[in-house]
Amino acid sequence: MSALLIETHALSMRFGGILAVSELDFAVHAGELVGLIGPNGSGKTTTINMLTGHLVPVQGEIMVRGVRAHGQAASAYATMGVGRTFQITQLFGRMTVLENMLVPGLARPGSKKAGATRAARRHLEFLGLAALENLPAKNLSGGQQKLLELGRALMLEPAILFLDEPFAGVNPFLRDEIIVLVQKLHAEGRTFVIVDHDIEALQRLVHRMVVMARGRKIADGTVEDVRHDQEVLRAYAGF
Amino acid sequence: MRAVQIVLCAALGVLVLAFPGLVNAYWLSVAILAIFYAIVTASWALLVGYAGQFSFGHMAFVSLGAYTSGLLVKWFDIPIPLGMLAGVVLCAIVGSGVGFVGLRMRGPYLALFTVAFSEVLRIIFVSEVEITGGSGGLEVAPLFHTRSDAPYYYVGLVLLAGSLAAMVALVSSRWGLFFRAIRENEAAAAAAGVKVVRFRVLAFAIASSFAGLAGGFYGHFLGILTPDIGSVDQMGLVVAMAVIGGAESLPAAVIGALALEALVEALRSYGEWRLVVFGALLLLTIRFARNGLLALAWEQLARVVPVVPAPRKTA
Repeated sequence: MSALLIETHALSMRFGGILAVSELDFAVHAGELVGLIGPNGSGKTTTINMLTGHLVPVQGEIMVRGVRAHGQAASAYATMGVGRTFQITQLFGRMTVLENMLVPGLARPGSKKAGATRAARRHLEFLGLAALENLPAKNLSGGQQKLLELGRALMLEPAILFLDEPFAGVNPFLRDEIIVLVQKLHAEGRTFVIVDHDIEALQRLVHRMVVMARGRKIADGTVEDVRHDQEVLRAYAGF
Repeated sequence: MRAVQIVLCAALGVLVLAFPGLVNAYWLSVAILAIFYAIVTASWALLVGYAGQFSFGHMAFVSLGAYTSGLLVKWFDIPIPLGMLAGVVLCAIVGSGVGFVGLRMRGPYLALFTVAFSEVLRIIFVSEVEITGGSGGLEVAPLFHTRSDAPYYYVGLVLLAGSLAAMVALVSSRWGLFFRAIRENEAAAAAAGVKVVRFRVLAFAIASSFAGLAGGFYGHFLGILTPDIGSVDQMGLVVAMAVIGGAESLPAAVIGALALEALVEALRSYGEWRLVVFGALLLLTIRFARNGLLALAWEQLARVVPVVPAPRKTA
């Protein structure tokens, strides 16, 4: 078994009286490509927010590469090699595409500007955004912004990358492009956890699916196993 | 083209250096005050325009720097530069504290918090009559014992040039990039590995220390300090200077401060009406030229005058 990158024990999050995530046990190993699915309000984004330091869980434990990360700032998670994109694209709108890439590049301890710039241009080339490096990020199309956000996360050279609804609001052509890019990056050895409603796209992409409903994990297994799981069917379609 | 630009810059440089010999004592003192406001406005632009931390308490740090230096020199007879340095350090420390306490606040809440801080400090200076002289003012030792104010002008120029160079170096560095990333989107900046808490506090500390430096210079130039220097009215003037010049560009903020201070004095005969004009100008700038009038004017000038280079966005 490859190295354990992220692991949670009995992770819970509460907003006022609402239990958004309840006692979640979850683990991702290096090289995995995991899909995290569930109906609206099932706690997927809350889970990602906890696993990237944007929310502090009310209970439970998070280990990143064997180190307890509970309560650390989001920037510390990034430094530990946890990258992410957001459900609604979050860019530095008035900064150029290249500057967007340089922020994580230069935030890495010991980084130098020349090296970060080279890495940024390499990633922009890979994402097909090289010609746009001097444009303000807010001037990009919605799809290009999604790609730029992915590129910015790649600048962290992350050990694990969480993509929160990468296919939301993108056209089928771009969706296929994102799938190909993720497949290429995975083939290079990157580890992904992808949250999305688009089960069809996820089925083409992931090897393992974790299903959540009402804040709880209700299934965790291969795509085939999860598709025939009775509790998943009930949660999704009320069967 | 390049040669023409060099000649124009050289001519401007000569004019700036020869200025004390070309004007009377009144306009020289106006120029010195304009330099003071230019340092304050640039540091406010650094905090607000670059780091996105909207503070209405910046003039409180000017008063803190001024009173610290004035009181230390008066009580302990220390050299004035050392007193000014103490003001800078104290402003950096208190600025860090304000930045840290205000970490969870954004936009109008942060602005109100800094107004409250500013008023608390002003009222302390008013109330502690035994120490500060209260509203009657505190006599402060002058930096120079000369008949002409020219030495103040040149010291002010050096302070302005040094402050501006330091601020430009800062915003051009990776710290400047992180400040702007935090301004644009804190959650994304944190996800990109930027230590948001550290850099928000740093932005407050650095901007406050420049305000403290300007305050020390102001006190030792005027020779008397009153708590009004930290008032909301004074803060409004600095905001107008930065917004009209361009809060997202340090040179534009400086030129805005110099121009507005000159205008305030030139239109003094119109009494309070000049303030109405400035208020209207501020409203029009916010509505039609959010990057400031200077950027807009420069853009237009670059179109018609070939030797003027197109403005380069710095923020």
